Amino acid sequence: MKIAVDAMGGDFAPKAIIEGVMLAKQEFPTIEFQLYGNEEAIKPYLTDDTHIKLIHTDEKIESDDEPVKAIRRKKQASMVLAAKAVKNGEADAMFSAGNTGALLAAGLFIVGRIPQIERPGLMTTMPVFGNKSAGFDFIDMGANADNKPEHLLDFAILASYYAEHVRGVKKPRVALLNNGSEASKGSDLTKKTYALLEQEPGLNFIGNLEARDLLTGAADVVVTDGFTGNAVLKATEGTALAITSLLKESILNSGLKGKLGAVLLKDSLKSMKNELDYSSHGGAVLFGLKAPVVKTHGSTGPEAVQATIRQIHKMLEQHVVSDLVAYYHEKSQLESID
Amino acid sequence: MLTREEILGKVRNIIVNHFDIEAEKVTENLNIKADLDADSISIMEFVLELEDEFGTEISDEDAEKIETVGAAVDYITNNL
Repeated sequence: MKIAVDAMGGDFAPKAIIEGVMLAKQEFPTIEFQLYGNEEAIKPYLTDDTHIKLIHTDEKIESDDEPVKAIRRKKQASMVLAAKAVKNGEADAMFSAGNTGALLAAGLFIVGRIPQIERPGLMTTMPVFGNKSAGFDFIDMGANADNKPEHLLDFAILASYYAEHVRGVKKPRVALLNNGSEASKGSDLTKKTYALLEQEPGLNFIGNLEARDLLTGAADVVVTDGFTGNAVLKATEGTALAITSLLKESILNSGLKGKLGAVLLKDSLKSMKNELDYSSHGGAVLFGLKAPVVKTHGSTGPEAVQATIRQIHKMLEQHVVSDLVAYYHEKSQLESID
Repeated sequence: MLTREEILGKVRNIIVNHFDIEAEKVTENLNIKADLDADSISIMEFVLELEDEFGTEISDEDAEKIETVGAAVDYITNNL
């Protein structure tokens, strides 16, 4: 198993990335890591170089680079070289914490799509409140601005496969994000998608889901278009941040009584914070490509890098992508007979 | 050196595979964006496939000018 790592992507790269790789090496000693980046900057953190291939490059994609231009012009950038390694079959999967747009472009234009999947989607496992070990797979978080119903059907198939084979959920419940629970509700896109999802034999489609029920664990997979998905994700993050800062402010302004109360509630508040942290589920997968391309948050620490590598390992071990390629090939053969 | 006809054949193959269209429909006048309902991602994939097939580099500015199959063939013929 070989994983190409963009060692220079992310706010704390290469330190956090290499430290995370070192942690992952202890857990998975047989994985070969191909580290793309500045040799001098990487080496101080490389405490064990067995099964490590270091490929030096001075170029990297910055967080504010325009995505498509960056991958076309910076041909020696660490992210581009890692994507090329996957394209050329030198690596089985790719990891990056760098510029999300550039990674989407590198995945789409360098690694390439599974031919029958018109548009890949960005998927992550989000937390379910009240059950730390549970989560739901949310797709598309923003890889696309416009989607067709057929794209959403692909997203449902991909994420359902992931939920079952990577997270171990039996017969994952798939829901469509909508503005009402009845089948007749929603936009033209959601109505057409509803009909497609209902007819797809391999899916356990449970109907529409409203955004307020997202984090309750009502579904194992939630499907939406990239524009809505991105807005929902940011609204959720923003709400969580606003509540946290409001709580902090209220405690600070409430005098001795309030501060004492906060001290007594310290453990509960900590456990709440842990429940909100979903980095242990790994990163966001650009799903629908010929190989796993996984992104972790730019401000990520070594533990989140390790969790993302664990996720990539599981995807490779379960042959997620090759099984999906075979599934779509068979599906297209059957469709051509019909 | 490839002839114009050979280049057209290769471009036609790329379009047939990429856009799932019958070969006879791929004429020089076919407009990639309008007739094939191609969005920006699809067009970029097509440009990259041209680059891979002919081992040439097409700048973003030149790529924007390639609107028809004939324009793609002309560009490749003049830049190989």
